[in-house]
Amino acid sequence: MLEIFLFAVPAGLVILGALIVIFAKNPVHNSMGLVLTLSSLAIIYITLNATFVAMVQMLVYAGAVMTLFLFVIMMIGVDKPEQSKEEIKGQTLLVSGTLLILIGIISYVIISSGFKWDLYFSPVEYSLEGTPDLIASTLFTEWILPFEIISILLIVATTAAIALAYDTKTRKHK
Amino acid sequence: MENLIFVVIFLPLLTAIGIQIISKLVNELLLNFLTINSALLSFTLASGMFAFLLMNKFEPIHLEFFTWIPNPEILFEFTLDGLSGIMMILVTGLSVVIQIFSTSYMSKDENYSRYFVYFNVFVFSMLLLVMSGNFLVMFFGWELVGLSSYLLISFWSKKQSAARAGNKAFILNRIGDFGFLVGLMLTLNTFGTFNYEKVFSAVLSENHDGLSIIVICFIIGAFGKSAQFPLFSWLPDAMEGPTPASALIHAATMVTAGVFMLVRISPMLQFSEIGKLIIISTGLLTALIAAFSAINQDDIKKVLAYSTISQLGFMFIAIGSGAYVAAIFHLVTHAFFKALLFLGAGAVIHEMHHEQNIHKMGNLKTKMPITAAMMGIGTLAISGIPPLAGFWSKDEILASTFSNGGIYYGYWALSLLAAFMTAFYMGRHWLLIFHKETGNDISSVHEAPKAMIRPLIILGIFSVFIGFINTPFFHGLEKVLEETLQYVDITHLPEGITLIVLALVSIGAGFSGLLLAYLIYIVDIFSYFKIKIPFKEEIKELSSNTLYLNKLGEIIFVKSMKSFSRKTAVIIDGLMIDGVVNNISSLFYNSSQKISRSQTGLVRSYVVYFGLFMLLLIGLFIATPWMLN
Amino acid sequence: MIEVSTDWYLTLAAVLFSIGFIGMMIRKNALIMFMCIELMLNSVNLTFITASKHFGTIEGQISVFFVLVVAAAEVVVGLAIIVSIFKKQSSASVDLLRTSRG
Repeated sequence: MLEIFLFAVPAGLVILGALIVIFAKNPVHNSMGLVLTLSSLAIIYITLNATFVAMVQMLVYAGAVMTLFLFVIMMIGVDKPEQSKEEIKGQTLLVSGTLLILIGIISYVIISSGFKWDLYFSPVEYSLEGTPDLIASTLFTEWILPFEIISILLIVATTAAIALAYDTKTRKHK
Repeated sequence: MENLIFVVIFLPLLTAIGIQIISKLVNELLLNFLTINSALLSFTLASGMFAFLLMNKFEPIHLEFFTWIPNPEILFEFTLDGLSGIMMILVTGLSVVIQIFSTSYMSKDENYSRYFVYFNVFVFSMLLLVMSGNFLVMFFGWELVGLSSYLLISFWSKKQSAARAGNKAFILNRIGDFGFLVGLMLTLNTFGTFNYEKVFSAVLSENHDGLSIIVICFIIGAFGKSAQFPLFSWLPDAMEGPTPASALIHAATMVTAGVFMLVRISPMLQFSEIGKLIIISTGLLTALIAAFSAINQDDIKKVLAYSTISQLGFMFIAIGSGAYVAAIFHLVTHAFFKALLFLGAGAVIHEMHHEQNIHKMGNLKTKMPITAAMMGIGTLAISGIPPLAGFWSKDEILASTFSNGGIYYGYWALSLLAAFMTAFYMGRHWLLIFHKETGNDISSVHEAPKAMIRPLIILGIFSVFIGFINTPFFHGLEKVLEETLQYVDITHLPEGITLIVLALVSIGAGFSGLLLAYLIYIVDIFSYFKIKIPFKEEIKELSSNTLYLNKLGEIIFVKSMKSFSRKTAVIIDGLMIDGVVNNISSLFYNSSQKISRSQTGLVRSYVVYFGLFMLLLIGLFIATPWMLN
Repeated sequence: MIEVSTDWYLTLAAVLFSIGFIGMMIRKNALIMFMCIELMLNSVNLTFITASKHFGTIEGQISVFFVLVVAAAEVVVGLAIIVSIFKKQSSASVDLLRTSRG
């Protein structure tokens, strides 16, 4: 009972947050919806025994990334509300078509398998605790190369961001 | 000995090629030397081979050139027997005489060398035809002869009428050739070979189903080549060509190819009653139509053209009655006196500075006595006056027809009428040109040059004496053809008193024809006795226009073909084929335009496409899970 | 007692992904489209964690790290681009970017 409860509530919040993201008019509301989603997702991670990841998610995603988003929203300052009428020709048709196919596939899969996905491998009996030392022991030994690469990636991204937003005109005048 | 056959056949071809090569380098004299000597050489070799045959009782000589197709076996082969031997001498001999004449007639013509090239090609093709050993080689010669005829008829190609006449000749020939070709195919299908001996021995030993169809197809081919009804209208138009060419082609050799071919296939022909009936009826019809049309012609050569058609009709009558020897006999005699008449006409045309209307001539015998005398001999010969050649051959035809009895009496009577008409129009021809005193100016006319006179004299002598090769007293020609026609049922002359009476009747017809011509045109007997001939003008009109048969043919065939081909060009070619090609290209253009509209440059549409196809892929994998393995 | 099994989590991830995808198709604002991308990335993260629990290995959670880092880097660069575009045109709508039209 408790498990279902512990699953259903965060799941519902995730979905709710996602819906807010795509349907809200004010961009700030969108960001708030996203924060809701991310936080609820962290809760779900905890129920899945991935505690460290949940913490990292809260820190990085809900903390840093969303803050960045909010900064940009404030800076750009969306004054004009978005037009609800679709401008691109044929887009409505295509979108609704894709939607239908999407819903069709998902419902088909869910119903035909009777809400029991035909997974090839059966789940293991024991459960793993996502503790930092367990993660670290694998991350820094087996997965050291991808780790270094994404560090380089981060540096490159940061440099790129500065270069893109660099305003030579205002700098020169000073 | 066999290899000499090669030389005789291919020597004219080599001469033609040689003349073509050196044509720009040499003058007329050297060219004459070359071509006449080559013709003489051919004739000498031909005579030598004929003598050899004579000594060997005309046993056939065969020569295989090469094997063309191994299965079914089709060779390129030649046969020299009595029939082909006679034709060989005829062709080569006339080639010498007519070429001598041509050197004078065609001199100063700007296309002098081209004429002799075509001439030699023609001689080559005719030799190929007559010395063939199987139907296929004969067909080669057949086609080549048609081609050479076309080339020579439209020789002065800048004249539109000449070009059109050449076209007409070739096309009408082609219609006949279609029949020949179908006959060829049927022969191969029925007998499995083209070789004469094999085919004929098969015909003689087995039953004769399906033979009539083959025979009729070949008959159609003969009609085209030998200008029988309805494929005869090309011959009068063919007079556009140079006169000596007409002498060779349309008097002596090409048009007789049909007759030759039918005699060649006589072992097959004898078993087809319907074939023989068609031949004799068409021959008679042709003879009568042509003779009627010749009565009122104005052109000196057109009279002779119609006369040729008419005489060919006689030869066909002979074949239809089963008198194959008589047909060949008439072929030979006709070759001589018709060539004589044509060359004489050529001399007259040359001296009258290319005036061809006989009403503008008159009393030429005072100015051109030798020509007049030779033409006179030719006229008497064709009218059947003994002892000249034409009498013997024509009388043999008439008598053989008579001897068949029954319905053939009717054929005999009508043939006699045609013979009478022949004498009449030829008499008119000679009288109007040479005898009648008109007021026309002939002061500048003089006798033809020696190179023209000598051939005339040679041919004149032959026209007098050649008839003696096959009289009722000495069956020379029959002996020559005996080996070739040994399995054929030949109709023979009647015996005794019947023969003499028939001879007298045909002589009478000839004489009366000439006399009537004299009376009408010289003495002008009708106006003397004030006799009015009813429908005189209408008859004259009908005669000049060949009973309007040409017009009829033009309306039926030419106009409909033209409109049909125009429709084809516009609709099928223009709309359908061009339309398809254009539509394919515009299809590509339009579809690429439409497809390029999907490149909107918008992120969102790309997202949609991406999602759509991804979903389709997922759906695919769900539906066919075995594809994931 | 109905057990909360792996299937449920996977379903949730699928639904989250679809919602993110639909959002991408519908919205015109560049920033909101970015947020939808974030949604999709998060659904992938959820799938990874679920798989980690299902198979009993730790690799799933490690992959989550990588995805997280890459997502963050991508957000940084993307937002910088959006900012510089916004300086040129005063609206944030992506429909105005049509220069690569065919």
